[in-house]
Amino acid sequence: MIAALFILALRQAVTRRKIALLIVLAFLPLGLAVILDSTVAEGGTLIGPVLGGLVISVTLPITVMVLATSAFGNEVEDRTLSLLTTKPVPRWTIVLSKFAASVVVAAPLMAVVAAVITMMDPDGVGNAPVAAAIGVVVGVVAYASAFTWLGLLTTRALGFGLVYVLLWEALITSFLSGTRYLSIRSYIFGTAHGLNDQAFGEDLTIAMTPALVGAALVTVVFFLLTTRRLSRMDIQ
Amino acid sequence: MITALSPAVRVEGVSKWFGSVVAVNDVSFDVYPGVTGILGPNGAGKTTLLSMMCGLVRPSRGGVRVLGEEVQGNISLYRRIGVMLEHDVLYPFMTGRDFVRLAARLQGMDDEAAVDRAIHAANLEDAQNRPTGTYSRGMRQRIRLAGAIVHEPEVLILDEPLNGTDPRQRVEFSDFVARLSKEGKAILISSHILEEVEALADRILLVVSGKLAASGDFHAIREKLDERPFQVRIGASKQREMAAALVALDSVESVSLDENGNVEVLTRNVAELQRMAPKLAQDIGSRLYRIEPLDDSLESVFSYVVQR
Repeated sequence: MIAALFILALRQAVTRRKIALLIVLAFLPLGLAVILDSTVAEGGTLIGPVLGGLVISVTLPITVMVLATSAFGNEVEDRTLSLLTTKPVPRWTIVLSKFAASVVVAAPLMAVVAAVITMMDPDGVGNAPVAAAIGVVVGVVAYASAFTWLGLLTTRALGFGLVYVLLWEALITSFLSGTRYLSIRSYIFGTAHGLNDQAFGEDLTIAMTPALVGAALVTVVFFLLTTRRLSRMDIQ
Repeated sequence: MITALSPAVRVEGVSKWFGSVVAVNDVSFDVYPGVTGILGPNGAGKTTLLSMMCGLVRPSRGGVRVLGEEVQGNISLYRRIGVMLEHDVLYPFMTGRDFVRLAARLQGMDDEAAVDRAIHAANLEDAQNRPTGTYSRGMRQRIRLAGAIVHEPEVLILDEPLNGTDPRQRVEFSDFVARLSKEGKAILISSHILEEVEALADRILLVVSGKLAASGDFHAIREKLDERPFQVRIGASKQREMAAALVALDSVESVSLDENGNVEVLTRNVAELQRMAPKLAQDIGSRLYRIEPLDDSLESVFSYVVQR
């Protein structure tokens, strides 16, 4: 039953339009990395501005947001959700299938982008590409859970999601160090830094353990909230 | 197992409001095995009522029990209920067979024979391997019906199931529903078309403005509907003489002149009026321009029943 739900969610997630958008979002930082590659030779870095400033702060959350908010959002909009909720299927399995489909599509794509950019940087030695990829996967999982909930909560999920990403994740948590424990971006940096403290500096990071605990908490809490919402909402 | 004595569906004092809009207002009824039609004009609250019976919408007040169990939040009950809602929704990337197969899988069934049976019942064998995005409206309705019956539910809830179907498909659908009814299943069918429900249902629930206006045997309610007075507009010269002649007819309840000089007649016998008006016009030397019904809409029929 879960397999059938997951395959359905996956087919809904990989529409042509979404794939095109994801490719653009993925190749944008790679293209920028190639352009900036010359600055690396002059002592610059790609990990800070491209991986941290663009991939982790902007394209990763937007990529996951596009997938996860539409997982339920599209079903509410086109009214197909009732096809699932009038079946003897536990609500958490429906949520799990949508969440997993978003992760399965976004995680490999963003992990590869993060790993390639890290490899292009002189500091990206040793396990740095793997650390970057693992950090990004942690972020994808946490964002996917939060945005899946947002997509079920409101029809304006993309708008609210963008405000959250640009205001909270990219701006406020950059300046107010105490808020980093409540930032998915910091969980990504914290995980990567914990795995390779040479490539990933200490600025903007928290320790690996609180980063992983924070990401797990965000994932579980929003998963439960989504299940609760799906169980209680009116489905027209 | 449902019996003729215990209600398959019990709706008790159910109300539903969305903000300040009352969609359903203190409705109670029981549904027994057989075909029950929910009849009402568009916007009467039929879909909201059915959605509450399916557990998709939570009543603001009151409760719904299906097969003796509370329907709200009772996921396992969907093994015994088949639901086809009004919205014409399918997954366009799926073939018809894949859609029915998915419905079976979500019922915990891994039985291709059940999928075959449902597709056969919906008479879609030839089109089963086509993407549903290429289906006509009628085919979409039928494949959704196949998805709703694949697990052979005891209670079948169908919201406007005949939308988009042609006359032949309606006959087939009637036969299909009659067959299920004979098997002892409880089938609820909503419609805003009187003749549709007449062809299918043994009993009806008449819903108007969110309230249950009438319920019971279809034919008794139909008789009541047929008794209502009709308003007819008659365009003629010598309007006052024409009005005086018309009011003398036994079946005419009242006559008035509108602002354009037309005669408006309230009658219980439209056929007699149509027969007599030309004769009366000839007798008084009036020229008759037109005779037209003013309120033959379903809404006016329902309003009449409510007022009664």
